[in-house]
Amino acid sequence: MQAVYANSLSKVYDGGKRAVDNVSFEISAGSIFGFLGPNGAGKTTAIKLLSGMLSPSAGSCEVFGIDPALHPEKVHQIAGVVTEHAQMYGSLTGLENLMFYASLFGMGRESSQSAALGLLGELGLADAKGKKLETYSTGMRQRLSLARAMIHSPKILFLDEPTSGLDPESALSVNNMIKSLAESEGATVFICTHQLRYAQEICTSYGLIDNGSLLALGSLDELRELVFPGMRVSIKASKMAQGMQYKTTGEMLYEMDVSSEQGIAGIVSQIVSQGGSVYSVMSRQLSLEEIYFALIERRNRKEGPGNA
Amino acid sequence: MPNSKQLAIITKDIKSIAKNRRLFPILVFMPLLMSVGIPSLFVFIALYSPEELKDFEQMLQMAPTHSDDITTMFIELIINSIMPSFFAIIPVMASSVMAASSFVGEKEKKTLETLLYSPLPLKEIFYAKVMASFALSMAVSYAAFFAMVIVVEIELLLAAGIFIMPGASWLSMMLIVSPSISLLAITVIVRGSAKSQTMEESQQKAVFLVMPLLALIIGQFSGLLLVSAWLLTGIGLVFAALSALFLKSAMRKFTYEKLLG
Repeated sequence: MQAVYANSLSKVYDGGKRAVDNVSFEISAGSIFGFLGPNGAGKTTAIKLLSGMLSPSAGSCEVFGIDPALHPEKVHQIAGVVTEHAQMYGSLTGLENLMFYASLFGMGRESSQSAALGLLGELGLADAKGKKLETYSTGMRQRLSLARAMIHSPKILFLDEPTSGLDPESALSVNNMIKSLAESEGATVFICTHQLRYAQEICTSYGLIDNGSLLALGSLDELRELVFPGMRVSIKASKMAQGMQYKTTGEMLYEMDVSSEQGIAGIVSQIVSQGGSVYSVMSRQLSLEEIYFALIERRNRKEGPGNA
Repeated sequence: MPNSKQLAIITKDIKSIAKNRRLFPILVFMPLLMSVGIPSLFVFIALYSPEELKDFEQMLQMAPTHSDDITTMFIELIINSIMPSFFAIIPVMASSVMAASSFVGEKEKKTLETLLYSPLPLKEIFYAKVMASFALSMAVSYAAFFAMVIVVEIELLLAAGIFIMPGASWLSMMLIVSPSISLLAITVIVRGSAKSQTMEESQQKAVFLVMPLLALIIGQFSGLLLVSAWLLTGIGLVFAALSALFLKSAMRKFTYEKLLG
């Protein structure tokens, strides 16, 4: 089932800035989709378009078949949104905040209290439930925002930089929460972030964006296919075998690309047969970060140095 | 009638202003000054410095009632003709403080966007906030009115053994002018809320409503005109029509994009 559909979606602000430019994608229900790019790439604008806060300048989008520009409140009923600018009330406690937002979703007092207490516990905020939000740290606020977005068990979560300002432990609990929401409850998660390493840990599919335009779409393997599907091998050896293509990355450290694991054995045997000693061999596939920069470089080459 | 989701917003807005250490005292002391302090001052002048009343001779000539006792006549004039104009400042102030906190305050504290992500249509959120401001303004106005009646009557009874009933002008003031001027002040704040970035900036816009009230007060003291029940009813009806018109047009112009802009 399709959760999100965007067709040639564009948004041009009053000042003329083209924040989202002719973007098309589809996200299937239950997936964790990472919309990735640097600050100012158009990620937050995309969330605002999908949640109906902004109307598209051109194109259209749908969330579970609902057009957010026409029926934003219907999208809000099935969606939870966390953005930097969506804060909660400092004069209310964590529990009061969650219960207030639950009441806006039509939840009764008892069900909202039990849902709020459950989320506070899962996000490590049980001890702070009675404290006013103004006393919360940045990380605690971020986790409470996540709890607020999840209070009505949404079908889809739109999260803008969900782990920004979180310490590693909190980030881990947030990640686990997002994963379990997608796995056990089948919720769809749309994550915007510039932290590509973080995204690689949690997302199942990706959309890479820069300057409002999509660079690529797909799973990690599909994105690797676009750049280099093989493996990058790092070798520590006394010397490299002649006739090989490699890059020196340090003293006795070399790096090269191979199409499969079978190629690694050939490299090692060539070094040894030419009298060299191999101390360590590590192989890995391209990371999301490497793919992203490779795609940016490719696009800049296409556009020419003037546009780079 | 507001639905349960709107009621949640109204309750939250009223609770939040009651907890606000900066705004709540304004909503208590300013109305007390206008409704109890100023009339008490006039009562004391009339009772204990009757010679000062000569300064108000021109105004007294316009008085609708002509009692033999100049002191009683003066107090009656103050309570039923002069005080309603002073009193009108209370609903303007209360509703503008509340509306600024409810609309622009949420924007300032970055809580508006979160509220807009709720499943309530924008129109329902808008009306819930208008209703919260209106309810608080009416509560403050009625509390101030009853405080004035109780305190002034006790003062008059104890000091002079007289009892002066609030006249028909108060009926117009409490039933027509206070509600309509509250709505008008809310409308002024709401219309400017999309452009205002801070509560203070937004509240300044309500000053435009206080200006004609001040002109009315000055007009009375200078003997130019005297407020009557008919005049107040007329003003109230004009305000009611204006606020209904402005509210509808303000709502039409409201979009998520403009509110968050």
